[in-house]
Amino acid sequence: MNMATSELQSRSVRPESAAVRLERVPSVPADATVRHVDQFETETLDAIYRAVTEDRPVSAAETDLEPGEVIVFTDYFRVERV
Amino acid sequence: MTQYVIIGDGISGSSAAETLREEDPDAKITVITDEGEPLYNRILIKEHAKGKLPEAPISIHDEDWYEDRDIDLSLNTHVTSVDTEGKVVHTHDSGEIPYDKLLVATGGTPTQLPVENSDADGIHHFWTFEDARGIREHADEADRGVIVGAGLLGIDFAAVCGAQGIDADYLMRGDRWWRYALSAEGAEIMHEGMRSVGVEPVFDSGVDHFEVDDDGRVTAAVDPNGDRYECDFAGVAIGLSFNTEFLRGAGIEQDNGIVVDEYMQTNVDDIYAAGDLTQFHDVLLGEQAQNGSWGSAKEQGRVAAINMAADAEEEGFQWVSSYSITHFDFPFLSFGHPTRGDEHAERKYSDTEWRRIAFKDGKIVGGVLIGDLSPQSKFKQLMREQRVVADQAEVLLEQSVDLDELAPTQEQ
Repeated sequence: MNMATSELQSRSVRPESAAVRLERVPSVPADATVRHVDQFETETLDAIYRAVTEDRPVSAAETDLEPGEVIVFTDYFRVERV
Repeated sequence: MTQYVIIGDGISGSSAAETLREEDPDAKITVITDEGEPLYNRILIKEHAKGKLPEAPISIHDEDWYEDRDIDLSLNTHVTSVDTEGKVVHTHDSGEIPYDKLLVATGGTPTQLPVENSDADGIHHFWTFEDARGIREHADEADRGVIVGAGLLGIDFAAVCGAQGIDADYLMRGDRWWRYALSAEGAEIMHEGMRSVGVEPVFDSGVDHFEVDDDGRVTAAVDPNGDRYECDFAGVAIGLSFNTEFLRGAGIEQDNGIVVDEYMQTNVDDIYAAGDLTQFHDVLLGEQAQNGSWGSAKEQGRVAAINMAADAEEEGFQWVSSYSITHFDFPFLSFGHPTRGDEHAERKYSDTEWRRIAFKDGKIVGGVLIGDLSPQSKFKQLMREQRVVADQAEVLLEQSVDLDELAPTQEQ
């Protein structure tokens, strides 16, 4: 199993100041946690869109993004701590 | 101790099982599925078929997940009928399973084209993880493709062909892709996206029959105009037939799906339904509606479980769904019910940016955003607020939408 927590349960709580950015990756390792953008709430989708189109970090506190996981959007993007 | 039975282990069934365990710690919960594996990520299997994503990240639950929560999981189990009087589920070879409350979350099966040779080898339908494995394996060695079904599911086949290096013709019955939600201008952006990955849209076409070789493998599709398209790979996605055969005689109201109210209750006591196969009462739309998105299915499962555990109409389903296409350089987002509505507004902003909003009784009920997703949360907010805004469409069509520019809501 690759997702330690349930689809339903919220992810870990991060400090307000934490920020993440999305790093384009060419491939995905077998042990990665991967989510598609349609699995996110509206606010997180907004943040993903901003992070990709404006190439800038977004606040982790206002999203459901987990550092290390891979997001399937117009490409594959790994969530990186800033 | 209440006995809950859930038929189906997709996201709605699994979401319901988890919620039931939280709401009713002492209950007996059984999940039955005819698939051979527990919950997996159905929206990621297309990435596997494209040859880009390995199998492991697509699995969501293993069997321990159910055991840890004291949920009985019955894989490879085919339900044959439901006795609503005796409150028993009959299975093919796993005996009878009694229930106090039952959730039907069995989803659908891809519809086969009603044409000659539509069951030939090399012709694929796409719904399960097992389908995706077969498509990936075949696509890896195929050279020429044909795709049928000009909608949200068909375009996944276009992406598979593009990613796997298959030159393909996409045969569409009308003059554009997803003609029920897109105008010619919006659809053309998607057509360009298809062409960019080596898939050629063919309009006013479709399939009259398939040709096969002596081994029964597909060799071509012939459209109603008599035009022949050679192929050694074909993908068909013309819709879903809902898996409700086992409910025959159970007295459950159906209308191209199982009819439920906003509490996910069917017309039969103690039987609920959730996921793709429901015709649910959409409180925002004010009508029955259907939705196949992941988020909607998950939420329906959760809401059904809340009401099952409460044995009351505890929480209604209210949701603005999203469905994304992530196969091209530009994003695509459909939200709400873009094919419904009595009024529409649209605008093109660039070669890859287009927007269309559907209104009903002046309120937004859905839309499609191509290229620029920035207004999606604002449009969804207006949907939830059920605000009358159709007469201010110009504000909503500005490239940068500022809701403060809308006139204040008038008291009704």
